[in-house]
Amino acid sequence: MLMTADVRQPAESTPDQKSTREIYLPPARKTITGGGKPHIVAREFSIYYGEFEAVKKVSADILSKYVTAIIGPSGCGKSTFLRSINRMNDLVPSCHTTGALLFDGDDVYGKFTDEVLLRKKVGMVFQKPNPFPKSIFDNIAYGPRLHGINDRKKLMEIVERSLRKAALWDEVSDRLDKNALGLSGGQQQRLCVARTLAVEPEVLLLDEPTSALDPKATAKIEDLIQELRGSYTIMIVTHNMQQASRVSDTTMFFYEGVLVEQAPTAQLFTNPRDPMTEDYITGRFS
Amino acid sequence: MSERPVHELIRELSEVLVQLSDKVVGNLFNALHAVKHQDEQGARQIRLVDDEIDMAEVNLEERCLAFLALQQPVARDLRTIVTIIKINDDLERIGDLAVHIIDRMPEISPDMLESFEFENMGLHAGDMVKKSIEAFVLKDRVLAGRVSAMDEEIDSIHRKVFRTVTQLMKNPDSDIDQLIAALSISRYIERMADHATRIAHEVIYLVTGEIVRHKEGFYESLIESTEE
Repeated sequence: MLMTADVRQPAESTPDQKSTREIYLPPARKTITGGGKPHIVAREFSIYYGEFEAVKKVSADILSKYVTAIIGPSGCGKSTFLRSINRMNDLVPSCHTTGALLFDGDDVYGKFTDEVLLRKKVGMVFQKPNPFPKSIFDNIAYGPRLHGINDRKKLMEIVERSLRKAALWDEVSDRLDKNALGLSGGQQQRLCVARTLAVEPEVLLLDEPTSALDPKATAKIEDLIQELRGSYTIMIVTHNMQQASRVSDTTMFFYEGVLVEQAPTAQLFTNPRDPMTEDYITGRFS
Repeated sequence: MSERPVHELIRELSEVLVQLSDKVVGNLFNALHAVKHQDEQGARQIRLVDDEIDMAEVNLEERCLAFLALQQPVARDLRTIVTIIKINDDLERIGDLAVHIIDRMPEISPDMLESFEFENMGLHAGDMVKKSIEAFVLKDRVLAGRVSAMDEEIDSIHRKVFRTVTQLMKNPDSDIDQLIAALSISRYIERMADHATRIAHEVIYLVTGEIVRHKEGFYESLIESTEE
């Protein structure tokens, strides 16, 4: 299904980047009420490590409340692009960007952007589960405390709500004071999701969230993504193409820093438009 | 890049399908020959070959289903396997229709067969099947479109047979059983051409990813594209 979306146009855009452009609405799954508006918008957006252009003039719309998967071979720029959305790349001294990246219409790399507020709104979960060496409760309460919430009752509410959303509450409700490092890998990863949800983000960035997990734990994370779909804008970088096809509504294929194709997942995996996408997903890549 | 085992397997399944189509078309031509010459021995052979076709169809479907489950193909690979499964089904049905023609053999005389030009009609339908399979092998969208357009010719012959039979039936001396058999044979051949058309549509899906069945205006655009 095609729709034309009116998106804000950054000043840097070239004339051929029209203010109305075709974007895809995911046809294969249930439509989400209130979703589908461009939440994150990239226009001619490049990311450099020193001289090296790791992401090349990407123009894309990430739809609110839907799941977007990013696939591509190693070193194609998919994680770099993901990490640019909550400015995790700022930690790399040589990293700089050109073009525009907008979040809710605001310039992510603008002079007056509050990175702390940005990262509150755009949470991230990494490849390896990385709970703090603290209790389960303190892991979840960490973010809210940073944002000034210290009332124990209020924190307890947040912890329970976050753990329930992350489908972990039933497994850990009787041992919230136990060290989070005692949880299994899959549980630790869901704890990390819960920790991210505790600060009530709008966007969840998942960077290969199941690559360190066994199939059962992977299935739980994939189920969790489906549960969270419709409440959060979710972006997932994955090397597992079956996973991308199972969990996402739209898929972006990157190759050598270029966004080759962005399409509804059902379309991309049955009838991709670009031969390069076709060759990659069918394993014909040389 | 050398061909990966998974793609060799797809090629192998495609080859099995082509072999099956050869058998089906061969059996159709033999059925027309057997009816023309009232060849009982040939008719028996046709039934035996159809049993082989049925077995081969089940076997190929099982292999394709296993491929889907184990390899989880996407894009062109997925479309190829789905197309093989569907064409396989059409070929099996064409095989059955050839046997149905044989079933009508005791009721129809070679003269009547001759008068309705069923042999030509059957050869035309067989040609459509052959060309549709050729389009599959070559992944040729234009050829598939041509096959699809050929269906109109068969439909027109079938309509003509229908009109003639209805007319002849009005004669009190007419051999009704024989006329019904003639109408049935015409219908079987027309169905075969329909299956060939379906195969052609499946090839168009394989090449373009577009499902063209029941699409309004498709036939007109097809004629235009084949004329270009």
